[in-house]
Amino acid sequence: MILGFLGAGALLAALVMGGFSAVLSFWAGRQENPVMVQVGRRAFYAAAAMIVAAGGVLEWALLSHDFSLAYVTEHTDLSTPTALVVAGFYGGQEGSLLYWALVLGLLGSVSLVASASLGVRLAGYAAGLMAAILSFFLVVLVLVASPFDLLSITPPDGLGLNPVLRDGGMLIHPPVVLAGFASFAIPFCFAAAALLAGKPGSAWIAHTRRFALIAWSLQTTGLVLGMWWAYHVLGWGGYWGWDPVENVALMPWLATTAYLHSSMVQETRGRLRAWNFGLVILAFLLVVFGTFIVRSGVVPSVHTFAISAIGPWFLVFLFVCIVFSVVLLAARASVLGGGAEPVAPVSREGAFVLQNLLLIGVIAVVLWGTVLPLVSGMLGQQRVVGASYYERAAGPLFLLILALMAAGPLLPWRRAATLPSARALVWPGATALVVLAVLLVVGVRAIPALIALPLIAAVAGTCFTQYARLGRGWRRVPSVLTPASARRMRMFGRRRRRYGAYLAHLGLAVLVAGIAASHFWQQEKDVTLAPGQQVTVAGYSMTYTGSEQRQLSDHTELVALMRFGDATLEPARATYAGLGGQSLTHVAINTTPVADIYVVLAGVSADGSASFSVFVNPLVTWIWAGGAIIIFGVLLGNIGERAPAVEASLARVPAVQGI
Amino acid sequence: MTAKWSIPALVVAACVGYLIYSASGGTSEYYLTVSELRSHSGSGDVRVAGVVQTDVQKTDGGLHVTFTEKDATSSVPVDYTGTLPDIFKPGITVVAEGRLGTDGVFHARTLLAKCPSRFSTSPYTQ
Repeated sequence: MILGFLGAGALLAALVMGGFSAVLSFWAGRQENPVMVQVGRRAFYAAAAMIVAAGGVLEWALLSHDFSLAYVTEHTDLSTPTALVVAGFYGGQEGSLLYWALVLGLLGSVSLVASASLGVRLAGYAAGLMAAILSFFLVVLVLVASPFDLLSITPPDGLGLNPVLRDGGMLIHPPVVLAGFASFAIPFCFAAAALLAGKPGSAWIAHTRRFALIAWSLQTTGLVLGMWWAYHVLGWGGYWGWDPVENVALMPWLATTAYLHSSMVQETRGRLRAWNFGLVILAFLLVVFGTFIVRSGVVPSVHTFAISAIGPWFLVFLFVCIVFSVVLLAARASVLGGGAEPVAPVSREGAFVLQNLLLIGVIAVVLWGTVLPLVSGMLGQQRVVGASYYERAAGPLFLLILALMAAGPLLPWRRAATLPSARALVWPGATALVVLAVLLVVGVRAIPALIALPLIAAVAGTCFTQYARLGRGWRRVPSVLTPASARRMRMFGRRRRRYGAYLAHLGLAVLVAGIAASHFWQQEKDVTLAPGQQVTVAGYSMTYTGSEQRQLSDHTELVALMRFGDATLEPARATYAGLGGQSLTHVAINTTPVADIYVVLAGVSADGSASFSVFVNPLVTWIWAGGAIIIFGVLLGNIGERAPAVEASLARVPAVQGI
Repeated sequence: MTAKWSIPALVVAACVGYLIYSASGGTSEYYLTVSELRSHSGSGDVRVAGVVQTDVQKTDGGLHVTFTEKDATSSVPVDYTGTLPDIFKPGITVVAEGRLGTDGVFHARTLLAKCPSRFSTSPYTQ
């Protein structure tokens, strides 16, 4: 009871501080009053601190099983393992919103600490915008979706966490995805503040890029973990279903991917300023739009969200954000136009622009598929699209992006007098041809596979070519440090980001290879087997030996035993006593070097025979490995990075001086 | 961006438009209630949402199932082969994807269950 009041009080205090920070920071930014900007920033830190306190109270209430709180009752019970009780924090609507505000408060504070160097006006506006967004979440948390609502009668036990969420993945996937979503607001705030302040130069790019990279890395991790979770827990043999919930997580990721590339054009060439602002703003708008879509239930999804009161609030917020962004971009259009030399189509920056256009194209495809039920429902009969729509519409665009990934890094900046030299193309081209030949020899005739896999090989070939160049550079470094060799090493330090990026490209190639292989060559078989009978799928044989019942702490399991070589696969159906005896599939997965054997138990009949869905999924492990390589590459290239010397790089490009 | 880039941009936009148009024309499905299914005349697969009734019959070790799907006013028998969603049971809302046969039975290719929790970040599929 007392915890409910404490938590609600902390949220209210956070709202007051957030609102105060928003108003004061805007005013102080306008007046260019550094002292008041500082006060506004500190008010933001105070709001963040109060949110941390509210989060602590909620966690305390969960761990102490304080069932007087509706939220605790609805998402945990006494039998829930402690780790999952902790995870109950973000297991429901209200808690996940609080978690969102928490991430925004903390990461936002970090970004504001480092913002003083950007100038009083810009820092003030950025703090004001961030505080305004934070305040919106706090208003929703205080007025409509409070995790601290009290029940009139305290029940003896809670309802428990949904069984499908009772999994180790619950501990990592939702917090990472939600943190990714929340952190897209930070680049937005700095971009919009730079526009408001009328300083669309390059200073904000360095600052924004760092936080865009953090958001992007979190979202990459969250997407891969989400696929991993869907694959291991849900038991339908796949990892990506093009559900609205997945789509809205993908779209801001695509927009930020575009931004991370095009911002390099601005850093090195001073070009594409308006475009970069647009991308950062687009990513944030897609986040708000996605949050509205998945939490209001306007689009049919397999994730049903209860008719929730927060829908209209997010709709209004989305509307305000769109109007604000469009007006801001239009009002500042005059200062955005760069008068520098045009971007040559065949050049590194030309490749970036084309890649950006293609990524926007993919966003358009995904967005249309996501809102089609909404749009068609307004015009008449509701229509929906399935996976085949996305594959047919986005597939060709993804193939073109792969082609750009193979060729783009080989193109020089500014303009290519000639196409990339034949020598540069030898290795990527050769790897692609070898893969193509191998595919043809083993009898692959599907055109999409024959295009996709050689392209993936070419991307990897390009990355290795770049590393080979780096390796040759290193061999020239003598053991004694001369001024010349020291300069070379400093050069490498400056290019660290680029080599990290190639590693990320390589990771993406590995990931896409896994997606392509499991997409083109997945095999599935539904069978009913009597004990002792054998089934063979894609050359893998397994024998059903019998079933048994197991009693575990919070559920019972009906386990079917299946012998596969020396291993025993144990697909099972778990039944939870709570939640009206809900049952849950436990998939059995055996990973071999080339494929996953993925067995789902459908049921066991009275005569002892059991029914299974058996999948053979080639190279799925490559997806998880690729995700890990991407993150490793980003960390390697950027961790501990100082703000890139924007001024120095601008000085080398006379045409853009004087921004 | 200069005028030079408007042509590639337009080409990409036209390609994307064509891809969206051709893909959605060929693959989009109607999302119907059970009553709308009765009056629906189009060919091709549709998705039908309704509540599972208590007449669930499982055969073939649970891989083959028949049941009646009902909304406020009408109902339709559904026939499905495959692994059932975990939470499938009478009383929950399912979305069946398939087509209505001439025998008056809806032959479902996939069966999606709506998640019962108030908020869940994980999909129940097929």
